[in-house]
Amino acid sequence: MSDAKQPANRVIIAMILLALPALHGLALTSVQPNRIVPGDAYRLMEIVGLGGALLLSLPFVAVLWLAWRPSEKRMRVIFVINIALLMALPWALALFCMSFVDADQPYARAGVGPGIWTLLFLLLLILIELRTRLQLSKGLQNMAAALVVGSLSLALISGWLEPLALAREYAGRREQFAAAVLYHLMLVGAAVALSLVIGFLLALLIRRLTRLQTPAFSVLSIIQTIPSLALFGLLLAPLAWLAARYPLLADLGVKGIGWAPALIALVGYSLLPMTRNTFVALEEVPPDVIESARGMGMSPWQVFSQVRLPLALPVLLEGIRITAIQAIGLAAVAALIGAGGLGTFIFQGLGQAAMDLVVLGALPILIMALIVDAGFSALAAYFRRGVVHD
Amino acid sequence: MIELREVSKLFGREHAVDGISLTVASGELCVLVGTSGCGKSTTLRMINRLIEHSAGQILIDGQQIRSFNGQVLRRRMGYAIQSTGLFPHWSVARNIGLVPRLLKWTPARIEERVTELMELLGLEPATFADKMPAQLSGGQAQRVGVARALAADPDILLMDEPFGALDPITRETLQDELLRLQSRLRKTIVFVTHDMDEALKLADRIVVMNQGRIVQQGTPQTLLHEPADEFVESLLGGADRGLKQAGLTRVATLMQPLDPAQAKAKADLPTVGVDDSLRLALSLMLWHRCESLMVTSEDGQPVGTLAFHDLLRTAP
Repeated sequence: MSDAKQPANRVIIAMILLALPALHGLALTSVQPNRIVPGDAYRLMEIVGLGGALLLSLPFVAVLWLAWRPSEKRMRVIFVINIALLMALPWALALFCMSFVDADQPYARAGVGPGIWTLLFLLLLILIELRTRLQLSKGLQNMAAALVVGSLSLALISGWLEPLALAREYAGRREQFAAAVLYHLMLVGAAVALSLVIGFLLALLIRRLTRLQTPAFSVLSIIQTIPSLALFGLLLAPLAWLAARYPLLADLGVKGIGWAPALIALVGYSLLPMTRNTFVALEEVPPDVIESARGMGMSPWQVFSQVRLPLALPVLLEGIRITAIQAIGLAAVAALIGAGGLGTFIFQGLGQAAMDLVVLGALPILIMALIVDAGFSALAAYFRRGVVHD
Repeated sequence: MIELREVSKLFGREHAVDGISLTVASGELCVLVGTSGCGKSTTLRMINRLIEHSAGQILIDGQQIRSFNGQVLRRRMGYAIQSTGLFPHWSVARNIGLVPRLLKWTPARIEERVTELMELLGLEPATFADKMPAQLSGGQAQRVGVARALAADPDILLMDEPFGALDPITRETLQDELLRLQSRLRKTIVFVTHDMDEALKLADRIVVMNQGRIVQQGTPQTLLHEPADEFVESLLGGADRGLKQAGLTRVATLMQPLDPAQAKAKADLPTVGVDDSLRLALSLMLWHRCESLMVTSEDGQPVGTLAFHDLLRTAP
């Protein structure tokens, strides 16, 4: 790699110029004596004093200086500083909790303020910029991720973060939380599985009966445009009627509210991306490959199972990925009709103006979506690798 | 042997192929040539029942193709197409072994056959067996396509413009290779192309098609000497015909045996191979601005001379 100086990296400079005022000007943390009483917000100066504040500005100023005349080497130094800052963040919070939250008050709690969220966001943006600029090996990227996650996990296990409001909210709802995560996953899993089966069959059907194509996609698009709450409402009456009419359904737990309408609505929303991607995936297999498969004397089933389906798989997985991520988010709304899941915390938190409870519900949803995204992307890339040369 | 008797194909009301009759003898390389949309590809695909014929009879070794199951029929015929149609998710070796696997050969026998075919087509097995099609050049991919068509040692080979998408040099190499293979294997080959030069070079017999009908069929020489109509003439390149014919004739047919007394005096002449075409000889004369060439045998020994006025004699 050449070590020639390049023009200043404006992205990183802009991020740091935003980060510095956030570090000093915004409230980083807050302390509440209990859940109800509004807390006191703390800025950096109030936590560590002028000297400390200047000291903590140093890494940011260093990055600013490095980004001014960036070279391959300097960008790597920025990467190391960035990872170090992300690793240090949970421990800084732990230190804050130790010195500012009264250990004798069991309900006292520390909140994470807008300053920290902003800094976190800006640091992640810098990471994304560094990833595009530097050709970082997969191993190095994974190691950096492991360091940050490891540091956070260690801080959580140590118990020093217990005074955090988020942890307090979690501590009071351990079992509920585990059940909600499981329920959320089950709801999403069932919706994705069902829509995969239905979407797949539907895609096969409209490949056969081409004149159904336009009407089928129109109907699926219309379902997609119904607001989720309205769809839940629309399902309430017919499901209640069905349950009243057929006791067997009622015994299965089908009611106007609960998992049944949630699942139906989720499947409804999932059908469009699932069917469309399956359809496109199967259609886009090169016709000459199919032609030669038939010409070699493969049976229609062999052509489908050995050629068309494997070649369609990457695009098909893409459909499952999009559908799953969409369902993870939508399932949160289903809490409103008593379907449970992580949405329960979000709506409870909104009702009680307890933002940390909202975060307790939203954070796992975000993490789930990220994991599903990464997992299916990797899977699709794996199946694609055989086709496109490596 | 392949026989077509009054075969037609209708797409809707359109006659894609209109009552053609054609016999391809065993071991013959028959080239269907014509402009695009003339029905030559349709004819080819009717033979392996990728397309069903609407009327007439198609017979393989005297048996109606309708009496066979379509898949069984196709496994008995090799099929190679322009874009190769290799399965992009399978390695080269697996692609070649496709039909043997469909025929449920034992894995050991398949592997042996695949290696044999790769060597036959000049694809080093150790290098190419595990490559994916996307890693191959156009010429290599087409070799794999031909190897795949030959895999189960079919008597009949159907080839639909297999070299159409290749650059001229690679195309020429593969044409030579096909002729070399054919002289060894003696398959019954139906070869579709729109390139008359390719047809003249490869064919035992050329079948010219236009608008679903056969306009003329015969050996390349017959076509060049007696084109049936203006259409065939224009396909043959009109005024270029002299050169095309020269391209089909070997230097050996017109050369004068070497007079040992003159051998020394003519040692400085440019040389041409005994198996090269008259077209090449003419080109060499034009290039070197000379009226005669030394003809050398395969091992480079002078065996004769060829003078410009020799070219004007009719081939015996």
